[in-house]
Amino acid sequence: MLKEEIWIEKYRPKKLDDIVGQDDVIKRLKSYIRTRNLPHLLFSGPPGVGKTASAICVVRELFGETWRNNFTELNASDERGIDVVRNKIKNFARISPLGDAEFKIIFLDEADALTPDAQSALRRTMEKYTSTCRFILSCNYSSKIIEPIQSRCAVYRFRPISTEAVEERLAYIAKEEGANLTDDGMEAIKYVAAGDMRRAINALQAAAMMGKTVDMDAIYRSTATARPEEVKELVKFSLGGDFMKSRAMLDKLLIEQGLSGEDIIGQIYRGMLDMTIPDRLKVNLIDRIGEIDFRIAEGANERIQLEALIAHFVLCGSDQNES
Amino acid sequence: MSELDWTEKYRPQTLSRVAGHNKTIEELMSWANKWKHGIPEERAVVLYGRAGIGKTTTAHALGRDMDWEVIELNASDQRTAGIIEKVAGSASQMSTLSSGGTKRLVILDEADNIHGNADRGGERAILELIKKSSQPIILIANELYDISPGLRGACKPIRFNSMMSRSMIPVLRQIVESENIVCDMGVIEKIAENASGDLRSAINDLQAVAQGKTRIGLDDLVTGERDTKENIFKVLAKIFMGTNAIEAHRATFNLDENPEDLINWIDENLPFQYTKEKDLESGFYYLSRASVFLGRVRVRQNYNMWRYAGLLMTAGMVVARSHRYSGFVKFQPPSLWRKLGQTKGMRQVRDSTAKKIGIHCHVSMSFTRSELFPFFRVLMDDTEYAPKVSALLGLEPEEIAYLLETKPTTKKVTKIYDEAQALVEKETEHEIEVFGGFTAGSSSAPVESPEPEVVKEDRKKPKKEVKSQSSLFDF
Repeated sequence: MLKEEIWIEKYRPKKLDDIVGQDDVIKRLKSYIRTRNLPHLLFSGPPGVGKTASAICVVRELFGETWRNNFTELNASDERGIDVVRNKIKNFARISPLGDAEFKIIFLDEADALTPDAQSALRRTMEKYTSTCRFILSCNYSSKIIEPIQSRCAVYRFRPISTEAVEERLAYIAKEEGANLTDDGMEAIKYVAAGDMRRAINALQAAAMMGKTVDMDAIYRSTATARPEEVKELVKFSLGGDFMKSRAMLDKLLIEQGLSGEDIIGQIYRGMLDMTIPDRLKVNLIDRIGEIDFRIAEGANERIQLEALIAHFVLCGSDQNES
Repeated sequence: MSELDWTEKYRPQTLSRVAGHNKTIEELMSWANKWKHGIPEERAVVLYGRAGIGKTTTAHALGRDMDWEVIELNASDQRTAGIIEKVAGSASQMSTLSSGGTKRLVILDEADNIHGNADRGGERAILELIKKSSQPIILIANELYDISPGLRGACKPIRFNSMMSRSMIPVLRQIVESENIVCDMGVIEKIAENASGDLRSAINDLQAVAQGKTRIGLDDLVTGERDTKENIFKVLAKIFMGTNAIEAHRATFNLDENPEDLINWIDENLPFQYTKEKDLESGFYYLSRASVFLGRVRVRQNYNMWRYAGLLMTAGMVVARSHRYSGFVKFQPPSLWRKLGQTKGMRQVRDSTAKKIGIHCHVSMSFTRSELFPFFRVLMDDTEYAPKVSALLGLEPEEIAYLLETKPTTKKVTKIYDEAQALVEKETEHEIEVFGGFTAGSSSAPVESPEPEVVKEDRKKPKKEVKSQSSLFDF
């Protein structure tokens, strides 16, 4: 095995006890390990709080060394159609477990990306193969999972990880890696990560690559390169009145970088909060952003919706300059 | 509408009546004849060529000539894996009961449209079908290269060339004769020419001008001419320069573009035409409303919603304009399609990279694209990390180049790739060493002694290559 170089993987928890900041959830998950039985599970919560880690730990602790034999991991956001349920999942589920395992486990990540059709198909599959197979679904918003599935699962809500827990883990990793994480560096990571452990560890690794000492400055410099603010620039160009330039930038994000409309609108929203413009304008623009976000979610063309938003920014920008 | 569509009415029933593809049909027949003597190596052919030149007709005529039963799946049928297996799978594996073993021909029309979302998994199912089939299969496509490489490789490709207008003329002439229509000099020739190689549209044009008449002259042709390019520009002029909102909407009725395509034309040109911020904003307001209705069509399959989309994207533009713009700005085709075409290769590399990272880090491709790429770019920028990360993820030179935002042929990329390969090799060697040492140890012989190694080598045939390498290493 090649040495793991990516810290989020290197320091991924190996057992449930290693998972930080989700004490209540972990306590209840451990009771399943004791009884050696498992209902279908639904993990919901924001990214980077330990959903995937928990799922893998549950499987490892239940199945031991040979856990990979009876486990499969699928990402619904990559394969969101009904086909993934009809083929991949079914084919895995209907073959009986290997070795002395009582059942197999399917981990379906980003299950809220499944279309309603696919979810309905999943519901029947879950029921049909329940003697040989358990499902662990994970999602950001449980409201996007249809009720019949929710009712078949034990639902666990993962919360953003507390700053103390993030701090503890980061200090541990920094020590292991021989990095000197200063107090203000720690504060900066906690601010950037906002309870997302994956983001926190990535920020630490990116900053540690620039030098042994990781202070506030290093964190902000590394996150600036690691998170290019193209979306912010797009907003700046459009408020400055340059529609064509903004549109070219939008195409670059959508087509070349493959960001989704949702990704972009989310970044526009976050950028807008930090913007120094009159409050009334800010509120009105955010109202418009919300409307566009909703339309994209409802199936309207993301490019045209975002262009309409840019055109609105252009108009607001020019009104602002006149007054 | 009691009149039958002429393209149906005069569709040739046998191969001998299919016009203009003699060579192609010969090639197809020689494949079909092989089925008389068992199952040939190539179980499937793909007929490809532009629309309206007789691919589907030929496939069906072949079935009839060979006395095969025909099962067709086209794009109007859903072609998910399940359906293909159900319909075609059983057909292709069961021989029919009648003695003499009549074959069943499976025709998959529009095979280049299979990997859409609705047909997910269909492609794989077809590939399986071809591998297992004991019955002939014909795929039909417009573009050979729009079929996935895997599927393409499993079929014998047979190309249909565009039709010469001189091959179309006899067909058209026969139709007017059967319909008892008198044609002036040059009418048939003109229709054939206008169709530019597409016989189906030639027949449609002929029917459009000739139906219900007993005589047609050159004058009748003007209205029937198909020229979408010019039409779209005229319609765009009515939308962006006209003053009558309803007329702008009405102009689209005769247009050969569906609203999904039309909206792209309007979207492209709007900011070039309306340069005043207020008009631009207002125009995009209506255009985005139109797109909402198009989304409702897609999500709910409710095609009634098209009419609102159609009105908003046309009449909406007219009412959005506050004043006349002087001067004429040329209309242009949507740049979106061009951009998608130009970036296709790059996007494939991007997504294969995203997939590798996603699998390694337990996240989706889209999450990788938006959240992890920037971080991996930082990692790959570090000369020490880059080879290690490349080895860990198994990155190809193109993928390394994508993350470094450079070309795959640069020295930097080659160096990282070579170092990564070296790391992988070293790791494999290490594993072999551990393995070799372990077996030697278990047979309780000192590692230096080559003898037990040799014995092991003989006993474990499948590992031969690995073992011989490790004993070489020991010497």
